[in-house]
Parts: sequence; structure tokens; C-alpha cells
Amino acid sequence: MPDNDPNVLRHRLGAAAGQQARSEARDVRVVAFTLNGESVQVAAPAHWTLLEALRYRLGLIGTKQGCDKGDCGACTVRVDGEAVLSCLTLAVMAAGRRVETVEGLGVGRPHPLQRAFDDCGAAQCGFCTPGMLMSAAAMLDQARAAGRTLSRMEIAAGLGGNLCRCTGYVRILDAVEQAQRELGGGGER
Amino acid sequence: MLRLRPLTLHRPTSLAEAIALKSEYGTDATYFAGGTDLLPNLKLLQVDAQVLIALADVAELRGIEAVDDDGGSTLHLGAATRLSTLAADPVVRSLVPSLADAAGRVASPQVRNMATLGGNLCLDTRCRYINQSQLFRDALGGCLKSHGKECHVVPGGQGCVAALSTDTAPLLIALGAELDLLGPDGPRSVPLGRFYSTDGLAHTDLRPGEIVVRVRVPVPAASTHVRNRKWAVRKSIDFPLVAVAVRLDLDPAAPVLTGGRIVVGVLGPRPRQLPLDRFAGASIDEALALQLGDLAFDRSRPLPNVPYDADYRRERLRVEVRRAVRDIAASLEG
Amino acid sequence: MSEFRVLGRHHRKIDAMDRMTGVERYTDDLTLPRMLHCKILRAPIAHGRILGIDTSAALAIPGVEAVITGADLPTPYGIIPWTPDEHALCFDKVRYVGDAVAAVAAVDEETANAAVAAIEVRYEKLPVLDDPHAALADHATLIHERRKPDGSLVTNNISKRVELSFGDLDAAFADAELVVEADYRFHGTTHTPIEPHCALAHADARGILTIWSATQVPHYLHRELAKVLGLPRNRIRVIQPALGGAFGGKSEPFDLEFCAALLSLRTGRPVKCLYTREEVFLAHRGRHPFDMHYRTAFDRDGTIRGVDARTVLDGGAYSSFGLVTTYYSGQLLCSPYRFGAYRFDSRRAYTNKPACGPKRGHGSVQPRFAIEVQLDKAAVALGIDPIELRRRNALTVGERTINEFAIGSYGFLDCLAEVERASGWTERRGKLPRGRGLGVAGSTYISGTNYCIYPTDLPQSGVQICLDRSGRVRVFSGTSDIGQGSSTMLAAVAAEELGVALEDVRVLAADTDLTPVDLGAYSSRITLMAGHACQRAAKDLAFKVRSAVATAWDCDRSDVVLAEGQAMRLSAPETAMPIAEAFVLAEVEFGTLGATGSYQTPREGVHGDYRGATIGASPAYSFTAHVAEVEVDEETGEVQVLQIWAAHDCGRALSPTLVKAQIEGSVYMGAAEAVMEHHHTMPSGLRADGKRRDPGPGVAGLLANSSLLDYRIPTALDTPDITAIIVEHPDPNGPYGAKEAGEGPLHPAIPAIANAIFDAVGVRIDALPITPEKVLAALRARTEAR
Ligand SMILES: Cc1cc2nc3c(=O)[nH]c(=O)nc-3n(C[C@H](O)[C@H](O)[C@H](O)COP(=O)(O)OP(=O)(O)OC[C@H]3O[C@@H](n4cnc5c(N)ncnc54)[C@H](O)[C@@H]3O)c2cc1C
Ligand code: SF4
Ligand code: FES
Ligand code: FES
Repeated sequence: MPDNDPNVLRHRLGAAAGQQARSEARDVRVVAFTLNGESVQVAAPAHWTLLEALRYRLGLIGTKQGCDKGDCGACTVRVDGEAVLSCLTLAVMAAGRRVETVEGLGVGRPHPLQRAFDDCGAAQCGFCTPGMLMSAAAMLDQARAAGRTLSRMEIAAGLGGNLCRCTGYVRILDAVEQAQRELGGGGER
Repeated sequence: MLRLRPLTLHRPTSLAEAIALKSEYGTDATYFAGGTDLLPNLKLLQVDAQVLIALADVAELRGIEAVDDDGGSTLHLGAATRLSTLAADPVVRSLVPSLADAAGRVASPQVRNMATLGGNLCLDTRCRYINQSQLFRDALGGCLKSHGKECHVVPGGQGCVAALSTDTAPLLIALGAELDLLGPDGPRSVPLGRFYSTDGLAHTDLRPGEIVVRVRVPVPAASTHVRNRKWAVRKSIDFPLVAVAVRLDLDPAAPVLTGGRIVVGVLGPRPRQLPLDRFAGASIDEALALQLGDLAFDRSRPLPNVPYDADYRRERLRVEVRRAVRDIAASLEG
Repeated sequence: MSEFRVLGRHHRKIDAMDRMTGVERYTDDLTLPRMLHCKILRAPIAHGRILGIDTSAALAIPGVEAVITGADLPTPYGIIPWTPDEHALCFDKVRYVGDAVAAVAAVDEETANAAVAAIEVRYEKLPVLDDPHAALADHATLIHERRKPDGSLVTNNISKRVELSFGDLDAAFADAELVVEADYRFHGTTHTPIEPHCALAHADARGILTIWSATQVPHYLHRELAKVLGLPRNRIRVIQPALGGAFGGKSEPFDLEFCAALLSLRTGRPVKCLYTREEVFLAHRGRHPFDMHYRTAFDRDGTIRGVDARTVLDGGAYSSFGLVTTYYSGQLLCSPYRFGAYRFDSRRAYTNKPACGPKRGHGSVQPRFAIEVQLDKAAVALGIDPIELRRRNALTVGERTINEFAIGSYGFLDCLAEVERASGWTERRGKLPRGRGLGVAGSTYISGTNYCIYPTDLPQSGVQICLDRSGRVRVFSGTSDIGQGSSTMLAAVAAEELGVALEDVRVLAADTDLTPVDLGAYSSRITLMAGHACQRAAKDLAFKVRSAVATAWDCDRSDVVLAEGQAMRLSAPETAMPIAEAFVLAEVEFGTLGATGSYQTPREGVHGDYRGATIGASPAYSFTAHVAEVEVDEETGEVQVLQIWAAHDCGRALSPTLVKAQIEGSVYMGAAEAVMEHHHTMPSGLRADGKRRDPGPGVAGLLANSSLLDYRIPTALDTPDITAIIVEHPDPNGPYGAKEAGEGPLHPAIPAIANAIFDAVGVRIDALPITPEKVLAALRARTEAR
């Protein structure tokens, strides 16, 4: 069939939009930050996300990817204590910050949240769990700092950016409530 | 993974430096605040940027301050203020609680920890035909906002009518907020109500290189009542499918209307403003709720741009306006 | 109390802590030295012929190591051996937007993306069939060119048709008191595991090809890889690492596994392919949209005299499990109620859309919606309480359903009683505030199927257990733990029989080199089948250990029990030894301790002998009842599902926490399908003026919502309160009486919600999903009618 036949389509992905594939020119930087309490340096191109740097450069595979564009929360880590999405954070922007991942939760022995998730059966496939744990840890720390006890509804709202497909959230909320009780006003973090 | 394409990043520490960088790189460069709007769009190859100019280190963009001036007080909000900060800030909560609420309803907790107010006002317009993968847009044959020749929302339409899907703009317009901008040609201010255009491809009044530095929000008088309402399918994560702010200015002496406005978002690129002057003298009751709901319904035509049934969004808008008015009425009684 | 020491108690999942500390490796967490990255080029048109593919520009990019196209993988495959209609990469035609056309391997993902974008494909566009009814009516446009045995072309788009009839339907309808007749629509939904599909292939220097894949069916993947790659099976090893959810969406081979494998064979380097979220949505195999026409005849007292169902299934571009889905659409309906007569006619159409397949509650969630709403309508018309009407139609133990499935246990009445009690049905129904309502529904599901997907007399599941001198137990099993906890279940069975603590059981699962075959995590088969196999192997070993201990104690073997980390004398409990010592005694006596157990389904007397009688027949059936409470906002039409009480008869809850978790997850998923989720393509043609742009740039059939933003799955704030109630009616065919719990509890959620909406505001929404605009329109129509 000739190319000018109206039923013939010549297709190159993105070509119609004039998009040129770019794989050259890497602006690689050495980024230094605190990772789970330790100073680290990692060489990352400017277009790499923190998620990519953690998983594929630093070997911290606990942080998961479920959508890579902000929709699911699987990649949640803490930066300077706050829960953020590592898939929408450029690695270079972590320079000088305090990054915490699930690997840094409860070093030495499980964090009360991890124990509570385990007790309650809050992890089924466990793929959303690292992100859930990081959101929950940030939320509980913040509430404690403010001297507040969170209601189940507030906990659900705090986990509103973390999708779970297995549990129906029932046991996740149970677990965070249990951990909150255990953490109480005490000094554990 | 949705890998970003290789790019260069700059981290200026002052507005002057940022603007100079932008002048140097021109259209290849984009300002980058929280990145929660920009990075997904870059990852989907919806937009391209070879150079990102991060605003995170620019101290001049930070800070929340209540400034007293002759008429009353004004809230000065740095454009880099994060939405979670805005939602929790005691000053904001006490002076303009509706703004704290609106900021607290954006996206998800993690996104709010990253997203900035400036980004929330400058975010790109959205449409079911554009916020998609490259494969989808290729299959579609593109549209005016990508590489195509027609709009699929308004077939035969000449312009892009993608929706401004921000949660804070309608409210801030209703509050009479102004933006302080700084660009290569110096500073200027624009009322937010005049900041947006009807062109979904270039929907803000920002001139090349201009940065939103600060948002100034007049603190409403005690007799002014403002409510912001959002509807989305899910109670978290989702962009608004209906976003509307209702402002009722009351006579300080008696609970009757003297003026006000309804500002409707998520229509096209520009929020619609509906002045309420002709309702002056009305009391704040169910009849007014119904009337204002009908007004919003009659004067707004949600389009099939964002991914939800447009007719329902219009119905829903009517109800949300009613509920805003009812809520104000209840607060007057309470 | 319980006769068990481990089973039936609360268990922590044996693998949870590793997953929660970031130690466990899922497929994308694996990297190998010199690993390449694969990306797949997908078709931008829904139907077309490939005229040519030019890969030269891609190959010229530095860092691109190999490019393959359909010509490199010409052997068709399909999960059902009778319908092999898929190719790893299309070589003649593309059949949906997203069909795979070429694949590249490059040094990193960025380069692979650039390479994919450098490939040029020429297509001839063909008419797009995106509607199943149009596809069934069309005899000119053929999505698949199939040949009959005589070589002539099959000139239709029917993927499968099943017509079965039981009893005298005409008589049933002839003098019925009430006939309820209605059309129902079940929309498309998809699984959405949070982990995207991923595969890593490594063809090593010994000539062994190893594939790590996020699959729930390593065994079938193993077979299909061998077939398509033309390699002997003993040269292929499939490993399923930890899996981040599946729900049926990973239960057949996908293009990425074949592509990674061939690219690794070509380059001699490991190759990984990770789907983007969009690719997960395109791979789909989700719930089929069903258009169902139902007629149901009732007696005055609510007895179901007959059911007549006509169904069109929208299959999408490929067969997938479609043959089974089409059978299930009718065969799984004949329980938990007795039907006086039954007929169904189901046709599955090919359409130019992502292929549908098995999603949790495969093939039976859709008709369950229809029948349970039919029953509700009858209850209203006859003035019978809907729970009572269901009771009156109950089956009995030992009975055969009208399609001749043998019911070995039946806890449905207890399920109904439990939700009636828990929801306060009797006291609260009819007395709730305006806009609130309660609805009930019931269901049944299979615990695996009597027959394997391919004909064989081999066991469906095998387990091997070894005992270690340290007191540790190793369980080897081909089963796939997809999050449901099957490895924990196996550990609990082994711990029960061998007297060790749960923590002392190691389960090694889903590695075709190391573990005996199990068919995989589908049709809720693992607990029943692998549970049996594990029990048998463990009992065999326990026998040896007890014998050895009995010899040492000079007592009868029956006097020795293994429990709580010890061997004990029943008649003298103070006589005991640590289990490790007991294992040592046994090893001295018998040599290295190992045993296998296998399970084959019963074949005699469990189903009829008509054509198709075996499909849907199961060793044991589970039962569920739900009551849903909803609140309908009459101003907005929005439905809030406040709470669902779900009682499920799982035979025996070997691990109650896991059973409850399965019930909760199922209820959540069902509720989401009822009111929120919808996997759908763009409407045909885009123009408001209704003109179609055929053959168009591929717009018809274009998936509209291929992201987690637009395909909205509920967040914690959108999920109802869920009360899971376990009902135990042990089944003679289940290990310790156990039946399934992973899929059955999903079914009633959807009709229970629909029925609750009727109870709340008096409108029926028979076309899912139940969106606010539909409810609002129905409320208005009702007001106008008054
Ligand atoms: C899953 C998800 C859900 C979301 N839901 C919502 C929602 O419900 N409601 C909502 O409103 N938004 C939503 N968003 C969009 C986005 O998160 C917010 O709008 C956010 O406030 C954008 O701010 P940012 O700082 O991240 O902007 P960026 O992404 O950094 O920037 C957005 C745009 O604004 C420009 N820009 C940023 N700051 C300035 C400045 N000071 N001067 C000039 N130009 C500037 C940038 O150049 C860019 O073009 C969602 C995003 C995601 C990923
Ligand atoms: S409104 Fe029209 S032009 Fe704009 S993005 Fe949507 S389809 Fe494209
Ligand atoms: S991977 Fe970051 S939000 Fe989904
Ligand atoms: S446990 Fe599987 S997604 Fe949450």
C-alpha cells in the first residue's frame, strides 16, 4: 500500500509532536545528604528522582514505585521529617536534607508501627506498606509533638495519599491506632 | 519507570539570579517550585524543559505575615509557601480559615508537603485529552495543546479550553487577592481575578521570565463570609471536579446581603466570577441558597475537559453553592 | 476448644516483617551485573495490519543492544491451550491500542525509551470494533482470522458461546406467580495491584534461562515460555519473587516475559522489563463488561422456579481465560439457591480493546449482581423479607445443584443469620433516617476447579517437606503467595502436624527449579489443594518422627504427640523432649528426613457428564452473605457506603486473621466496583455531532483512564467500615475442612449496595457503576412519575 493511502499510518512514537528522544547530555552531580542518620554521597544525573537514586544507586529497595507520578504514595519517604513523594523529588534537591526511608525505621529492632502492622496483619502483599509506614510515622511524630491523639478518621486522612489494594485499610488503621497507643507520650521514635 | 529526560538544574538563591537564569535560557527553561505539577507533566512528555530553575532556595519567596494597613489587614503569603504550611499556619487559620481549608483539600498529604501556593496558582490547565501518555496522545492524533489541529472538547473550537484545576484560585479571587510579580522588566502587581485568560495554552498573565513573588490576601471583615467548596470523586488525591468559592458581604448591622461574588473554577482556563450585587438586600436563607445555586448553574457550563460527566458537574456546582450559602446561614444563626 | 494447636489461631504472616523493613525483594528490586533494560513499543491504533517495521534507527543509537519484533517470536500462545491467539509481539495485526509491536534492550531506561521512539511502523488501519454487540453483528471486519477444521474462515467475532439448559424452563415460567425481567449491565473494572508487572530474564552461559517474574502462575508461564521460545522446559527456570498484589491480573503470561527472555538470549546479558502504570492498565485482563438479560420466575412463597439468562461478554482483543469466563458466567450461578429450572446463553465477543480476563471472583461477580437484584425485586413484589426469601431457596448439604455440582458443605444459612444479627437488620430495617438503607445479598464460590487448564492426570499441587536436625522445617511448594498469605498457611499446616513453632518453618515457594509443581494462585485453589498436599507430606514425616520417639521411649506410636516444640507422651505429659531431638532420633532411624505430598481433585460423582459439566465444578464451595448500609444524598445523588457486614463460610479458618483480611480486602474491592471504578475506553468517535472518524486515528478503543489518578481506587477515606465474620462449616473435601476465602467475599458487596440504595430511596440502578449522576437521574424520574 502506498504511503499516501488515507488508511496508511506511519508511526514513530512522539514524532508527530516533534518530540526528539534525548538520551545525551547528562548533568551528573554528586549529592550529599543524610540518609537514615548517615551521611551519604551519590552521583546522580539531574533528571533522576530521589526514588531512582534510592532504589537503583543506593540499593535501598524498600521504597517502592507504583505509578511514578504522584498518584499512589508507594514511594513515600521522609525529608526533614515530613512525608513526601520520592518519585516527584529530584535527587539533587535532597542535597543537605535529612532523608529517611523504611530501612531507617526502627533501627536495631522493629519500630512500634512495624510491630503493630505485623500484629494486626496490616500488610498483605506489603507493597504499599513502606510508604504507609513512612506516612504514618510522620503523622504520629507530628501529632505527638503537638500533644495530640489522632482519631481513626484523622489517621485515615493522614494516609489519604497512600493507596492500598489488598487490605481495605481496616487493619492498617487498626495498626496505626495500636502504635499510637503504644507510643503514647513516651520518648520512642 | 516514567523516566524524566535528561535536563539541567539550577538552584538560584535570589530572585535576581533566578530571573537572570531564565533570561539566559529563555523558553528552554522553566521555573520549578514543588514540582508536583511540573514533574508529572514532564514525565508524561506533555511539556518539555531542558533547564529547570528551582525556586526552593529563594528566601524572598518564603514567609507568612499579617500586615496592617489603613482599611484593615492583609495577609502576605510568599509564593513558595507550601500548602501544608498554609493549611496548618495559626495566623492563616485564624484570619482566613477558608484558605487554610482549601489548601488542606489539595491532592494528598504528601503532595501538600511539597506543593507551593505559587505553583497552585500557576499550574498548567488540565484535560482528559492532554494529561495522558505519549502513546495516548499519538493515538488521539493530538489536540491544540499538543501537536494536533483540533480540540476534542469543543469540536471545531478555535482555542484550548483545558480547565484550571486549582483548589485555591477561586477562593483567592473571591477574597480579592493580588499577586506581586517580578520579572526582567521589574515588579508589578495584578489582581488574581485578572490573572487568568481564556487560552488554555497560555492561561496566565505571566510575562516571559516573571515570577509570582507573593500573594496578598485582604483579611475579610467580620461581616464578610466566605466558603470554599470542592467536589471530587475521592476524598483525597483527586483534583477538583467542582471548585467554587462563595463570598457574601453582609451589612454589619443586619444579616442582609450588600454584595459579594461567586467564583467558579474548573470550567475552562479562567475561573468565572459572578457578582452578587443584584441580590443586595436579600436575607441569608434557603431562598437565597436556591437562587444563588441556580445563578451558578445558569451562568456556568462545565465542559467535558476534565474526566467527569460535564452535566453532572454542573448540577453539582448548583448544590455546592447552595451548601456554601446554607453553611453561612447556619453560622449566622449559631 | 479447638482440636488444633496452631491452626485456627492468630498468626503473624511469616514474610511480613521482611516486607515491612525493606529487606524482601520484589521483582523490580532485583538487579544483576550488566543488566539491560527493555522497553516495548505499542500500537497507537486499535485495529490494523502491520505493513512494515523499521528498527534501523533504534539499533544505531549507542547503548542499544538488541531490537526484536513479532517475526522473532512467531509462535502463538494463550493461557487456555484451546485458544492460542496471542503473540508476544504482533507480527501481522494489532488489535488494540497498546498491543505490543517491538521491544528493545538498552543499557538504561532512558536509552531504551529513546530507542523505542526511533522505531518506525507502517500500519494499514482497519475498522475498529469497540462495542461487543456491533462486533457480534459484524461478519466483515474480523478481529481474528480463524480457520475451521475444513480450512474455511470463521466469519464472526464470537470468541466463545455457551448455551446450557437444565430442567423444564418453559413449565417453570408458564404458571409462575411472578416473573421478574430486567436488563443489567456490569461495567469493566481492573485489578490495579500497586506493584506494576515486572520481569527479569537471564540466559546464562550454561544455557539455562532464568526468569524472575511478578506472576501468580509460574507453572503456566514456564510452559508458555518453553513453547514460544522453543526451548526445552528443563532449560527454563521461573522464579516468582515477592509479589505486590495480583488479584488475577498476573495470572497469565504477558509480553514482557517473552521479550525480556528473548532479548537476554540474544544479548547474553540479563534483561529487565518493568511496566509503566499505563502498561499495567493496557495489559488489563480485568473484569469483563457484561450485558445481561435476566428473567426469573417465582412462586407465591418466593421459591425460585426458573432462571433464564442471556449474556453478552465484552472480551476485548484476546481470548485470555475467556472460554472459562463464558462458562462461569452461567455455571457458577446455581448456588447458594436452588433453581427449579435454568438456562443460560452467553456469548463472548472479541472487541478492539484491552483483553479482559479473570479478576477476583472470575466470571461470576457480574451475574451475581443480576440475580441478587432480581431476588430483591421479587422480595419487594411478593412482600417477603429479602433475607427470608433467600432462606426459602436454600440448598442442603449433599444436594446437587441444578447443573449437577455436588454441595459437600453449606454454611450459607449461618452466613445470612450472622449478617442479619450483626447489622441489626430486623430492628433497624425500615426505621432508618431518610436516605439510609440496608440491603442484603448472598453468593457462592469455588475452592479451585476439579480440572487443570490443560488436560492432565498429574496432581494439581505438590509439596515437599524436609526436616532439619536443628528442629527446623522446610516446606517447598510451587504455590504463589500474592499477598493472600499462602506461604503462612503452608507454614501453619506444617507447624500443626510437626509440632514446631510457626517461626521454625521456612517456606520456599514458586521456583520451578526447586519446588514441586503447583498450578498457581487462581480460582482460590491454594488453601484447599496445597493445604492437602502439605498436610500429607507433614503427616508422613510426623509418623516417622513419632515412630522414632516411640522406639526411644519404648511406647506405642499413638502415645506420642508432636506439639509446642516438643515430642510428648500423651499418657505421661511430663515425658517430653525438644522437637529437634525428636527429629534427630528420626533421622538416625530413617536417614535424611523428607517427604512429599500431592493433591489431586476428586473426579467421581462431583459433577454431571454433559458437555461443559466440569467447568466450574469444584471440590468445595464457599458461601457468603453481606448486608450493606448506605446513605444516599438526594440532592447530589451521591451514595456513601457506610458499612458492610460480611459473613463468609470458609469451611475452617486455618488462619483466622488471614481469612478476615481476605474478607475485608474483597469487600473493599467489591464496594469500589459498585460505586467508583470503571475501566473504559473513549467513546466511539469523539465528535459531539456524533460523526465517527472511522477508521480514525485510533480513537475508538483508546483507554480513557490508564493512571491511578483517573482510574480511581478508593483511599482510606473512601472505604466503608467493614465487619468480617467467619462462619465455619468444614467441608469433607477440604484440608481440616478448609475452603476458599479470597474471592467469594467480593461478590455480594455489589448487589447488597444496589439493594440498599433501593431500600434507602426507592430507586434501582441496574447499570453499574452506581454513579451520582445515575442516582440523581433516577430520583428525578421517580419524582416526575409521581
Ligand atoms: C496526584 C496529584 C493530585 C493533585 N491534586 C490537586 C488538587 O486536588 N488540587 C490542586 O489544586 N492541585 C492538585 N495537584 C497539582 C499540584 O500538586 C498543585 O497544584 C500544586 O500546588 C502545584 O504546586 P508546585 O509548587 O508543586 O508547582 P510546580 O509543579 O513546581 O509548578 C507548577 C507550574 O507553576 C509554575 N510556577 C511555580 N511557582 C511559580 C512562581 N512562584 N512563579 C511563577 N511560576 C511558578 C511552574 O513553572 C510550573 O509551570 C495534584 C497533583 C498531583 C500529583
Ligand atoms: S481543551 Fe481541547 S485543545 Fe485543550 S487540551 Fe483539551 S482537547 Fe486539547
Ligand atoms: S510512585 Fe510516587 S506516588 Fe506513586
Ligand atoms: S498490602 Fe498490598 S497494596 Fe497494601
